Amino acid sequence: MNPAVPTWAGVAASLALVALAVAIAWRQRLRLAREITIAAARAGAQLTAVGAVLLVVFARAGLAGAFGWLAVMVLIAGQVAARRARGLPRALPVATAAVAAGTAATVGTLLALGVIGPQPRVVIPVGGMVVSGAMAAAAVTLTRLREEAAAARPLIEARLCLGMPAAQAFAPHLHAALRTALIPSVDSTKTVGLISLPGAMTGLILAGVSPLTAIRYQIVVMYMLLAAAALAALIAARLAQHALFDDAHRLRPLPVVTSAERQAGPGGTNESRRLP
Amino acid sequence: MAQSAPTLFTLDRVTVRRGGTLLLDEVSCHIPAGSCTAVTGPSGAGKTTLLRLLNRLEEPDRGRVCLHGRPLPDLDVLALRRRVALVAQAPVLLTGDVLDELRAGQPGLDRAQAAGLLDQVSLPAAMLTRPTAGLSGGEAQRLCLARALAARPQVLLLDEPTSALDAASARAVEQVAGSFVADGGSVVLISHDPGQTSRIARQVLVLRARQLTASPAQTTSHRERP
Repeated sequence: MNPAVPTWAGVAASLALVALAVAIAWRQRLRLAREITIAAARAGAQLTAVGAVLLVVFARAGLAGAFGWLAVMVLIAGQVAARRARGLPRALPVATAAVAAGTAATVGTLLALGVIGPQPRVVIPVGGMVVSGAMAAAAVTLTRLREEAAAARPLIEARLCLGMPAAQAFAPHLHAALRTALIPSVDSTKTVGLISLPGAMTGLILAGVSPLTAIRYQIVVMYMLLAAAALAALIAARLAQHALFDDAHRLRPLPVVTSAERQAGPGGTNESRRLP
Repeated sequence: MAQSAPTLFTLDRVTVRRGGTLLLDEVSCHIPAGSCTAVTGPSGAGKTTLLRLLNRLEEPDRGRVCLHGRPLPDLDVLALRRRVALVAQAPVLLTGDVLDELRAGQPGLDRAQAAGLLDQVSLPAAMLTRPTAGLSGGEAQRLCLARALAARPQVLLLDEPTSALDAASARAVEQVAGSFVADGGSVVLISHDPGQTSRIARQVLVLRARQLTASPAQTTSHRERP
C-alpha cells in the first residue's frame, strides 16, 4: 500500500480535526457546531457511498455506465445552478442545457483528441471536474443575468424604446454577467501553482505519481475547466437572454426575489462549497 | 375639428393584467393623429400602462391596439418603436457623453445634426462634449427627449415629462411637444398638470380606477395649441 494513502483508522483519527472545528464553533458561540457535525457526517457518508458505487461502475458498467453517471451529475448540477437563478424564466432547462453542452463539448473534445482514455475510471473523475466547473459558471452567469435584468430594467427598456432589438439592448448586461462568471476561472488559471496546488495534481502526487507527470494532468485539467466554464457561461447567457425577452423584444416581468429566498437556495449550503 | 382628424391609435376593449393585478379594464378610445392628446388621472389608474401599450412595451391580455387601423402585432415591432418614441418619466441616460447619447437614438449622427437636436430642446450646442454624469435633472430629461427625436419618430409618447422639472425646463419640453405637432407629428402625453394639458393638449383622456372615464368626444379641453 502507498504509505501516503490513509488507512480507515487514519480516516477515523482525522475526526479529531472535525472535533477541533466543532470546539472552536462552540467556544466562540457561532451556533455552527451542529451544522459542522452534520456536514462532516454527510461528507463521510456521501463519499463512502460514492466510492462503493464507483467501484461497481469501474468493474462492471463500462463506458456506457460512465456516461450515465455523468448524465446524472449534469442533471443535479443543472438543478443546483437553476436554484441559484431563482426567478429567471425557464431557469432549470436553461441551466441544465448549459451544463450539459459545456460538459459534452469539453469531455468530447478530450476523448476525440485522445487526451484522456475512454475508460470509466478516467471519464468519471474528469467529467465530474468539468460538470462542477460548468455548473459554477452557469450559476454565476444566470444569477448575475437575473439581477441585471431586474435592476437595469429602465436602462434596457430605454434602449428598446429606441428600436434596438433585445440582444442589443441587453448586450452590456450580458457581457457584465459573462465577465463576472469567467473571472474566477481565468484568475485560477493564471495563478495555478503559484498560490495553490490544485486538486488533481495534489491527488496524483499523494498517490505517488511523479510531479512532472502530475503537472501534465493538471495542465489539461486547467485548460478543460477554462473551456467548460466559458462554454457553459456563454450558452447559459444566450439561452437566458431568450428566456428573459419575448418575441416582441419585451423584457418579461421578473418576480421579486428576496434575500431570504436567495439564502434558501444553495448559497451558503454544502452545494456552494463544492463550487470552486 | 378634433372629430374629423384621422385616427392614430385605436384601443378596443383593452384589458391588461400583471401577476393577478388589473392594470387596465376594458379601455376603448381613439387617439387622433396630428395633435397632442393628454392622459390624466390619479396615480395607479393605468396611465403609464396605456402609454406602454402604444409602442408594445406592454401587451394587452384582451382587446387590441391598432395604429392607423392595423393591429400592432401585425407591424414590425422594432420599426414601430422607432416610429413611436417613448420618453420615460425618469430620465435614463445610456452613455458617457452627450453626443454619444444622441447617437444612441440615431447612429451616424454628425455634430451639426446633434447640435440641432440640442437646440430643439433648448440646450446649448456647447453641451455636446459634456459628460452625461454632470447633467441636471432638467437637462437630462431634455437630452432624453432629444435622443428620442434623433430617430425622427412620427409619434412622441411622453410619460410625465415635466413632473420633476423647474418651470423653465417644463416650458421648454412643452415647446418641443408643440413644435413636434406643428411639424405634423402626434404627441400622447401623461400629465398631472391641468395648466399644462390646457396649454398643449387638444383632447384629454381621463383614466380612473383603470377605466377610461372621458373619451375624446368628451374632452375637457378643446383648445388649439398656441
